[in-house]
Amino acid sequence: MATKAKGCKELVSEVIETRLCALCGACTGNCPYLAYYKGRIALLDNCSRTDETQCYEYCPRTHIDMNAISQKIFGMPYGENEMGTVKKVFMARATDTIIKKKAQYGGVVTALLSLALAEGLIDGAVLTKTSDDKTPAPFLAQSVDDVLQCAGSSYMACPVLGRYNQIPKEDSSQLGIVAMPCQVLSVAKMKAVPPENRVSIDNVKLVIGLFCTWALSPDKFYQFLKENLDLSKVKKFDIPPPPANRFDVYTLSGKTSFPLEQIRKFTMPTCAYCLDMTSEFADISVGSVEGTEGWNTVITRTDAGVDLMEMAKKKGKLQIDKLPSSNLEHLKEAALLKKKRAMNEIVKKSGDKNNLLYLGLSPGLTEKLLA
Amino acid sequence: MANIEIDAPGTSQLFIGNEAIARGALEAGIGFAAAYPGTPSSEILGSLAQVAKKIGIYAEWSINEMVAMEAAAGASFAGIRALAAMKQNGINVVSDFLANLVMSGTGKGGLVLVSCDDPSAISSSNEQDTRPIAKWLDIPLVEPGDFQEAKDMTKWLFDLAEELGTLCILRSVTRIAHARGNVKLGELPTKQHKAHFDQIHDLKNVMPTTFMPLPSSLRHFFLHMKLDKAREKFESSPFNRYVGPDKADLLIITSGSCWLYSQDAIEALKLRDRVGILKLGTLWPLPERFVTEHLNKSDKVLFVEEIDPFLERSVMELAGNFPSNAVRPTFYGKRSGHINAYGELNPDMVIKAVSTILGLTYQARDIDYGKKAEALVKSSVPERSMTFCAGCPHRATFWSIKNALKLDGRDGFVTGDIGCYSLALGPAGFFQVRTMHCMGGGAGVANGLGKLGQFGFDQPVIAVVGDSTFYHATIPALINGIYNQSKFILVILDNSATAMTGFQPHPGTGMTAMGEPTKVVSMEALCRSLGAHVEVCDPFDFKGTTNTLLKMMADDGGAKVAIMRRQCELVRAKKEKSPYKVHVDIEKCIGEDCGCDRLCTRIFLCPGLIWDKKTGKSRIDEVICSGCGVCVDICPQGAIIREAV
Repeated sequence: MATKAKGCKELVSEVIETRLCALCGACTGNCPYLAYYKGRIALLDNCSRTDETQCYEYCPRTHIDMNAISQKIFGMPYGENEMGTVKKVFMARATDTIIKKKAQYGGVVTALLSLALAEGLIDGAVLTKTSDDKTPAPFLAQSVDDVLQCAGSSYMACPVLGRYNQIPKEDSSQLGIVAMPCQVLSVAKMKAVPPENRVSIDNVKLVIGLFCTWALSPDKFYQFLKENLDLSKVKKFDIPPPPANRFDVYTLSGKTSFPLEQIRKFTMPTCAYCLDMTSEFADISVGSVEGTEGWNTVITRTDAGVDLMEMAKKKGKLQIDKLPSSNLEHLKEAALLKKKRAMNEIVKKSGDKNNLLYLGLSPGLTEKLLA
Repeated sequence: MANIEIDAPGTSQLFIGNEAIARGALEAGIGFAAAYPGTPSSEILGSLAQVAKKIGIYAEWSINEMVAMEAAAGASFAGIRALAAMKQNGINVVSDFLANLVMSGTGKGGLVLVSCDDPSAISSSNEQDTRPIAKWLDIPLVEPGDFQEAKDMTKWLFDLAEELGTLCILRSVTRIAHARGNVKLGELPTKQHKAHFDQIHDLKNVMPTTFMPLPSSLRHFFLHMKLDKAREKFESSPFNRYVGPDKADLLIITSGSCWLYSQDAIEALKLRDRVGILKLGTLWPLPERFVTEHLNKSDKVLFVEEIDPFLERSVMELAGNFPSNAVRPTFYGKRSGHINAYGELNPDMVIKAVSTILGLTYQARDIDYGKKAEALVKSSVPERSMTFCAGCPHRATFWSIKNALKLDGRDGFVTGDIGCYSLALGPAGFFQVRTMHCMGGGAGVANGLGKLGQFGFDQPVIAVVGDSTFYHATIPALINGIYNQSKFILVILDNSATAMTGFQPHPGTGMTAMGEPTKVVSMEALCRSLGAHVEVCDPFDFKGTTNTLLKMMADDGGAKVAIMRRQCELVRAKKEKSPYKVHVDIEKCIGEDCGCDRLCTRIFLCPGLIWDKKTGKSRIDEVICSGCGVCVDICPQGAIIREAV
């Protein structure tokens, strides 16, 4: 069914004002009308375009035909697997001591990016970097040193794709992107229908997706941190795997913990409507391993992902092991739970079982998830 | 500007009305002139200042009309003939002083105030009429009907003001002030000015040498005596005259530029032997006997005057006092709807009114003629909206203000003020201005808005004023904001000139009206001394300016000041060449495509940028582009290129 082309006005009314915006940054960076500022996408002026509007098109919270996207990325329709299309699942950790020290968990993302850069698979990578004031900011890493600076997470949403969009369109550098599931979804939309007047999406050779249950608001949560901590002394944020149920902040003088319940209220509202825990459209997805500190869970999904993992193994950059089956089962459970919860929230918000807001899912799967 | 000090009595010179007034003041032997620029009055002081040094008078641009009037009164108190000039809005600024000055009386030097009204508010925020204010304040008021009168009346008014010992007003309007005509010159005085504040009481003079409005009842009584004396003088003034038949079908009562329109109308209708015109030059107090004598010329009277029905009401008031058996004419004018009660008039409007009253059919021109003429002219005039000049720093400032307000996201807004930047209420300033009243008004309004936090008000408020406006009327509002901790940002557009009225210097420029270097009154030092947090930005630095505004909006505390400092482009361009040569790389320009949508020619709207419909790309209008290069930083595709010249 042909839908009426929509533009920034609809993006504002359907996504931003309804608090579905994930702050992925896909609508910013090369558009003079939309800009990210302090946890918000602002419309600076009205764009008059109605026939071809990439801000609306690539938003992960506007209409997505999951089957079509999956077909484009994986050559098959969107399946029923809780973790999406999977080639292999491992657990892994970096071998490099510097990476290990800096990394959030096993340092796999840093190790893979460093390797891809060193081997010339990519020339740069769009990442999230924690700024001096501890706000997350998009960053184009162009060296291993740059990548190391971006290690660690602040758990706050960051408009990474805005930085990607800023890359001049004539730039032919090969790129990697490390992204949250919502951002991976946006990149997948771009791969399905390549954007115009921007840097070519074909330049993106590697998408590393992160596991995500929810992200924190970079505005409200940051205010909370600012009021409760001396941010200049913060070294690292961490949400240890369950059952810890806390948010830890490591400072120069030690560790401060907040109960997770206190933190959850700063969750981005849009996360409640997200089905994807494991970045299903990435080349490689990476997360923590429950109960095993210092390791990552790694899912390879595409040939590019498989090749990079193999190279990392061959070059001794990663130590790879089998993910215990109990962990795998637990991961699947959690991923499915997120899908079911999100589906219910979506229907609750739309008030109609046949209206899944942005989601285009097969009726069978819809029914299954709503059951 | 014309040379108003040419010493050639009897010769004719081509002067605009304002120059004629200035010449009249010179012939009257003024020693002191002060004004605040304001269209259509600015050339009076401008032309006096130009010759002041040479002929040994003093002329200044004062920081506002009130100080100008007070300073001129000071000169009068010390025996120097003095003139203050302003536009109609200035009368409001100065009215408190005027209400007391009329009571205190003036000094030995005659004191004249020239007020230039702006019917249709062509260059103003309103079309206020000075005449009723003069009546309300008990100030004699005259109005020249042509350029010769503008000069002659000014000279004569100084004599009158000095004789009466009270301030007199010369009212002019745009079409007298700015139109040009021949003026036959008179003698320039050779008398040397000697100023002295005479402290000794002069028993022969009813005026004591203290200048105060007290005791007020007595002073009020004296003032009325002066008005009676003025009225008596006006009864035989040559500036009032009747032109027309002894018995007319219609009598027009008019003054000022409407006298010219009325003559044109009667000429066009060929009604010289049927319609008489009573042209008045001395409007207040009304020469009642003179007017009464002429009222019997016709049983129909039409008032042709702009803005308020001043003559209409004054004459009807007079007729109301006629004996009960007296014959009263039928009055036509604004009250009857024959003359517009607002805006400028023109000969066509007078023709229409006269024809209607006399039941004539007169077709001034083919109905389609106007439309055809308009279409013809439009075809050769480039399409251009009312906007800031190419390279104007105000456009850049409002760009940053707009973006900062949008990014901040709390629905903030701008309270505006009077100057070129008033245009920001439209597309030139991206529709950012929400209030606009009088000079300094925006900062005052912001004071109130900035104190509404307790009622849940969280919208950032930015009061925008020009540099000249800052000195003129904004400082008390800023002090109030600091004292009462009102949360707003005062943005001062410091373009180093009173740009809208013709680049007159002000206290921040280090130059006087007479071209002498002087101390710079630093606005940042002043604001900081008041305790304000002050930032100075270059409006062409979009990023820096936007971030500064965002930070100031986020910060708590009372009034803050952001000075946007960049010289008026027109002033800069007079002194130096363009910094850049700018062009559009048509390979990079994506025009209407997604990722631009003609940002430069649809939103930014610098007149130096043109949308080329044929190619679907933007290009630079090389004639208009000032080479400021600021558009380079708004192009999302990097398609606008600047090369240093």
